[in-house]
Amino acid sequence: MSRQAKPSSGTPGFDPGQLRSQFAILERDIAWLDNAATTQRPETVLLAMDRFSRHHNANTRRSVHQLGMEATAAYEGARARVAQFLGAGAPEEVIFTSGTTAAINVVAAGLARWEIGPGDEIWVSAMEHHSNWVPWQQVAHAMGANLKVIPLLPEGRLDLAAFRKGLSGRRTRWVAIPWVSNVLGAVNEVREVCDAAHQAGARVLVDGAQGVAHLPVDVAEMDCDFFAFSSHKMYGPMGSGALWGRRKLLDQMQPLLFGGEMIARVNEEASTWAEVPYRFEAGTPHVPGAIGLDAAIQWVQALPQAAHTHVSSLTQMAVEGLAVMKGVQVWGPTEGRISLVSFSVKGVHAHDVAQVLDGRGVAVRAGHMCAQPLMRHLGIESAVRASFAPYNTQEEVLRLLEGILAAQELFT
Amino acid sequence: MSTLYQAALLAHAKNPYGATTLAPGVEDGEALNTGCGDEIRVAFSWTPEQCLERMTYEIYGCAVSMAAASMVARRLEGKTPSEIRTMAAAFADRIGRTGFEEEWGEFQVFNGIERYPARIHCAMLVWQAIEHALPPSKG
Repeated sequence: MSRQAKPSSGTPGFDPGQLRSQFAILERDIAWLDNAATTQRPETVLLAMDRFSRHHNANTRRSVHQLGMEATAAYEGARARVAQFLGAGAPEEVIFTSGTTAAINVVAAGLARWEIGPGDEIWVSAMEHHSNWVPWQQVAHAMGANLKVIPLLPEGRLDLAAFRKGLSGRRTRWVAIPWVSNVLGAVNEVREVCDAAHQAGARVLVDGAQGVAHLPVDVAEMDCDFFAFSSHKMYGPMGSGALWGRRKLLDQMQPLLFGGEMIARVNEEASTWAEVPYRFEAGTPHVPGAIGLDAAIQWVQALPQAAHTHVSSLTQMAVEGLAVMKGVQVWGPTEGRISLVSFSVKGVHAHDVAQVLDGRGVAVRAGHMCAQPLMRHLGIESAVRASFAPYNTQEEVLRLLEGILAAQELFT
Repeated sequence: MSTLYQAALLAHAKNPYGATTLAPGVEDGEALNTGCGDEIRVAFSWTPEQCLERMTYEIYGCAVSMAAASMVARRLEGKTPSEIRTMAAAFADRIGRTGFEEEWGEFQVFNGIERYPARIHCAMLVWQAIEHALPPSKG
């Protein structure tokens, strides 16, 4: 039996049922509330990738034949789409990667590592995903630099006053922050962080993974230096993502992967690199991934504002429902939160909550959520997270809340 | 769901035998579930005959990992390191695979865990710590 959403399961002015019909996987009896881990993919994305493989498959940029030209046009068209989506200056500022993690590593090891010396400072935040913590930690270790942490205010927002106070115009070289916390759902004041960092002469990388599906992106408005995101958290395919960087910084960045496609000339003794961005895309790229991302961007851009309002209202419904439940602690700020809610159930381990929910057809994330420093800050080992997309329904939020009651009944 | 969270498992999880608070560094072995952050630290005390007198542990874990630790802590008392190793291997052979025969008694609550493959490592967490906690094998 499939649980097709009823119009009543939406928010006034928005019917998720129409969207659900675009997702074959939602015909299964599963309430997918793990969208912050990965979103499901609509037919348009699947068809675009399938169409490429069936009708246009060829290597990009190196073939003179018809299919090669079609593949190149599709791939570079996707790059232009990503640039436009991000508010970037030019398609050349966009590098396709396997996702956010790869994008951050490219910058940390390809540029930051060369700019940082002993005693310099790299800042990350206490709410960081491991993918925006560990690469910087490794650069700091390798270069004898110090990893500094932007602390959190009690309700789970960045303590910008402490950050500004701690910035050192002499030592601070790099700052890495998340646009949206994958645990707290907090939307960070990226522009303010960038302004403060730039005044201190530091560069800023923004992990955009949790924001791109829900908020309009504008790297120019953010004024960041690099922006990384994944395709699969915004209805696109896994193994696909992109890095945007300022052109003058990309020109200074060193490639990490060497081989085909990234070179200009190879001699016995030395080689020179292809122009930006190709020097950062060694080997045969994941062309269907880029095309899927292109289709996903178009799908997101076609969403009505009411779809985003619907996600906010589902999140609010979950937060309010959890807040009144005895023994449930909701993490994260009450204001400036989007699309997800993490919580703990007293006396019930997060995995057991998730297992009981799974038994009732509700998929949530449980564990440290790749944010162990934040977990320690909260004084917990793990938490449960429900995260929402426009195809979710109020009925699914109710299933979540009922499932938590069932878990409490079983374990306490 | 009832297959996983049977009453006997829940009883152990709610009142785990041998669970305590261990001061830092007193453990003989520890194990970490890297996927979820669950953690157990195990300490052994031995009789003059080199049989396990008591296994105590500090655990942060789910119901499955706590119940496994509780059942194992009780079952290992009186066993030699060699017998413990044999039992560890026998447990690993059965959990999520053939299941536990009648002589394993309450361990049979884990029969059916193969339907929740993600949870098998929860039941194995205590054994990973025990492996580290045992004195080196003479063989």
